[in-house]
Amino acid sequence: MSRAFDAIVIGGGHNGLVAAAGLARAGRAVCVLERRDEIGGMAAEGAFSDGTPKPRMAHLLYNLSPAVLADLDHDRKALFETRALPTVCLDPEGGHVVVAEGRPHFADGAPHPEAGPYHALVSRLARFGAILARLAEAPPPQLAQGMTDLQGLRRLGTLGALGWDFRRIGRDEAREFLRIVLSNAHDVILDEIADGPLAGALAADAVRGAWAGPRSPGTVFSLMYRYARGGGAALPMGGMGAFCAGLAARARVLGAEIRTGAEAAAVLVEGDRVRGVRLADGSEIAAGCVLVAAGPMTAMRLAGPAQFDIEAVRRLRALRAKGTVAKVNLRLRDLPEMPGLTAGQMAGRLVLAPSVARVERAFDPVKYGEMSEDPVIEAVIPSLTDPSAAPKGGHVLSAIVQYVPHAPRGGWTQAGRDRLLATTLAALDRVAPGLSDRVAEAEVLTTADIEALTGAPGGHWHHAEMSLDQLLAVRPVNGLARYRFGPAGYYLCGAGAHPGGDVMGSAGRNAAAVALADGVAA
Amino acid sequence: MTEHGRYDAIVAGAGHNGLTTACYLQKAGLKTLVVERNDWIGGAAVSRSLMPGWTYSNCSYVCSLLRREIVRDLDLPRFGLQVIPYEGGASFTRDGANFGYHADPAQLRRELRRHSPRDADAYRRYRQTVLRQCRFIRPFLLRPAADPTSMKPRDLGELAFLLKRIHGLGPRELGETLRFWTISIGDFLDEHFETDLIKAHLAGSGIIGTGLGVYSPGTAYVLLHHYMGDVDGAIGAWGFARGGMGAISNALAAAFEEAGGTIRTGAGVEQFLVRDGAVAGVALGDGAEFRAPIVASNMDVRRTILKHTPREALPDDYRRAVERFRIRGSSAKLNIALDALPRFPAAPEGARFLRGDLHCSESLLELERAYDDWKRGRWSKEPYFDMLIPSQIDPTMAPPGRHMMTVFVQYAPYDLEAGGTRSGTNWTAERRQAMAETVLDKIEVACPDIRRHIVHMEVRSPKELEDEVGLTGGNIFQGELTFDQLLFNRPVPGYARHDTPVKGLYIVGSSTHPGGGVMAAPGANAAREILTRAGRGRAMPDLAA
Repeated sequence: MSRAFDAIVIGGGHNGLVAAAGLARAGRAVCVLERRDEIGGMAAEGAFSDGTPKPRMAHLLYNLSPAVLADLDHDRKALFETRALPTVCLDPEGGHVVVAEGRPHFADGAPHPEAGPYHALVSRLARFGAILARLAEAPPPQLAQGMTDLQGLRRLGTLGALGWDFRRIGRDEAREFLRIVLSNAHDVILDEIADGPLAGALAADAVRGAWAGPRSPGTVFSLMYRYARGGGAALPMGGMGAFCAGLAARARVLGAEIRTGAEAAAVLVEGDRVRGVRLADGSEIAAGCVLVAAGPMTAMRLAGPAQFDIEAVRRLRALRAKGTVAKVNLRLRDLPEMPGLTAGQMAGRLVLAPSVARVERAFDPVKYGEMSEDPVIEAVIPSLTDPSAAPKGGHVLSAIVQYVPHAPRGGWTQAGRDRLLATTLAALDRVAPGLSDRVAEAEVLTTADIEALTGAPGGHWHHAEMSLDQLLAVRPVNGLARYRFGPAGYYLCGAGAHPGGDVMGSAGRNAAAVALADGVAA
Repeated sequence: MTEHGRYDAIVAGAGHNGLTTACYLQKAGLKTLVVERNDWIGGAAVSRSLMPGWTYSNCSYVCSLLRREIVRDLDLPRFGLQVIPYEGGASFTRDGANFGYHADPAQLRRELRRHSPRDADAYRRYRQTVLRQCRFIRPFLLRPAADPTSMKPRDLGELAFLLKRIHGLGPRELGETLRFWTISIGDFLDEHFETDLIKAHLAGSGIIGTGLGVYSPGTAYVLLHHYMGDVDGAIGAWGFARGGMGAISNALAAAFEEAGGTIRTGAGVEQFLVRDGAVAGVALGDGAEFRAPIVASNMDVRRTILKHTPREALPDDYRRAVERFRIRGSSAKLNIALDALPRFPAAPEGARFLRGDLHCSESLLELERAYDDWKRGRWSKEPYFDMLIPSQIDPTMAPPGRHMMTVFVQYAPYDLEAGGTRSGTNWTAERRQAMAETVLDKIEVACPDIRRHIVHMEVRSPKELEDEVGLTGGNIFQGELTFDQLLFNRPVPGYARHDTPVKGLYIVGSSTHPGGGVMAAPGANAAREILTRAGRGRAMPDLAA
């Protein structure tokens, strides 16, 4: 056995790093084990063959928790720098709409007829989202346990704060919140604005990463999460790599050790307590506390199903994680024009979702294991904002492509990948004619590739579907929702835990807080 | 000469909920008039003879949800209501396989094992879960929905009842309940079963009447709307009302008239009359006017408010909330008179499970595809149907040796897509017939000689349901059963107690809590609310006890 730690974090994605930093900040000796040679997980940086960096999967920050940043006890600028990007709702017919600060206008400067209702809608979503954000910053509330102990009282405190939020927004708003929170994005959006690129982009935000279309009930919940902080998107300067490096640097400064190329093979359990981790190379590291940022099933397998009661195992097996997102990274020789957009506007977050109906239509094929012929795309050209993104000239276009099946019939083949790339390029060509002729290098990551690279189950961006039946008190599954995961000292700290995915960091932060409160990480 | 008159209360619409409300108001001593647009009563719980000798339950077609507390309290059996349980069900596939959903537990278990031993075990867990959820929800059906945003003592009392029930569940069971209420029927079944045919057989109850697919979150809850009933105390069982669904309405009407109430058919409400913010009466289509300080509308909330209530009597935000109320039709109906019992070659001769609900859907994905068609404004190419031959059990439905078949079809949109437009007016006779042919083609999977036996067939699209019964959009639940339209949100937030901004005007149909299915619970709940507000709460029996 090598040197003992107070706690080990398996997985060097952003949630793992945040958890490690939280434990280190409390004075615990922490070691992060990352299977790959670079940290970052979903937020990792990659490189094209000529060395040009590329955001491998996640490419923007939408929703990084301010509490996480505050906890890192640091001036945000020193960790990493970001630029807020406007959202550009692309219209294949040319009527592109630019949204900045929740206010839309046409790309040519003309006022948008629905600017008022749109602003009112997203402001409301932001107000309601702020209530959900409060829920995200703590373990999920439990209704069924009373005031039998101090913890029970503390839990009621969270609910009390929630109740206060309700009083504060007023009865009518509270009613509206309760009406739409479990509703579907299709209806809530189209009640306020007509269908088109502006509505389509909102719908796309409601379902990004999800196995759901805008008509699926529950999609307003995710839209509220997304718009909790206004719905803006920020580009990390220096790429997602700089963001991860910032987190890692902070964790290290606080005293955490980060080992890359160190694959955890098993979590060692003695009696009903965790006592360390065995690595793939056979070596063992002792620790009384292990946090795991991997998918819930992987976390279970690491400790062994025998450590979980049979109901928990059954529920984990039934956990849904069907990824629907592919990533296409393009290195461009030069930049095509996008008719109707200025170069400045092209630097925004480009959303190709011409209408809510088309987002729903794009979802349909994945239900049957097929891919969308007319995909929804969120693209960004970081090199227009950040000169370091393409140091050798040219440009980088990073595209999140939805929907693709997590398990197409016969599996992902080269032909399937080629078709995905061709479909994506064809869609982009419609708004940026000639783009496909300028591609110097393309990388296609299917759901299967994403799973292989990051371990995300089913290639799902949120490790488990963020549908209502897998959220809050039942995320990832009923009975394992409060980060404690099977044996004493074992915690789930990844996106599979409450509050779920996106580069939020809250799961890592909350899990570390629970581990500390349990006193095992001492 | 126009007719006039004064009553204590008027009920607009003689559907089962309107009649239930009317019964309780009349029995509490209010002189009550029921007005009905059609020449017959019953709304969507109706029996009609469209072919001499045959009786059609031509809208709703099976019975189980009708609250037995109400049946008992109003003594409906004395007025001719008799419910006969049916004897199983079955699903058939194109390649000749079938799944028999036997009523006998041992037989069902054998049948499940024949398909998959694992599924036979899973079925026990599945059934326990569903029954647990039924037991949890049933006490809420005959109570007002707790409104968490209200500070009124009555609402706080309901909230306390709800929290007590929730607390009583314990954390684990509460988690399961939260999941059950939010998961899709498809995912729920996938968690339990491995056999496509079994999943498809059980999935129908989660989507019947909804604008949702089997993989839409929330459809497992819809299942409860088909399970929380009982026949003679057997929870989840289904039965036929002897003489068709009209027997329910007729029994209610008889009970109402025996108590001294009056029913007037042939003219519906044209306008709810409003004076100084309060309802004053109704003006009917034939020019008659009746006065009453209490008016209960059995029409859905959209029709009541947007079509028949003066605009100036309503605050804008309320009107808007009603405009947003989702009430999209998704189902059609075929009612078929047969000259003989058709053959089901895949089933043993005389199989009892044929006296139940029959289906030809083979997988969840097939059902989901059927939903995709609806989203695009078309009827399903591979429709789901719930097909029954009630005359096998109830000989009053057809002449001796002949049979009556009811086929509930999903999905069929109200706004049919044709020639680039989506509209109810696109439902021409030819298109209705084309839809019927699609359905018949599929019925042939189970009974290949069906077409030869057809004596008469009535085809009802959502448009006919709207035109005849008055169900907006042809929605059988008077409003979709989605989270945002259930409990205290039904029909609109802040007005879950059947009331409207117009004093004295109430909504008593399935648009209100606890929603659709021939339950009569909304009608009874509304009566309790109306009587309480009129200071006669004591006259209402405590059905929830």
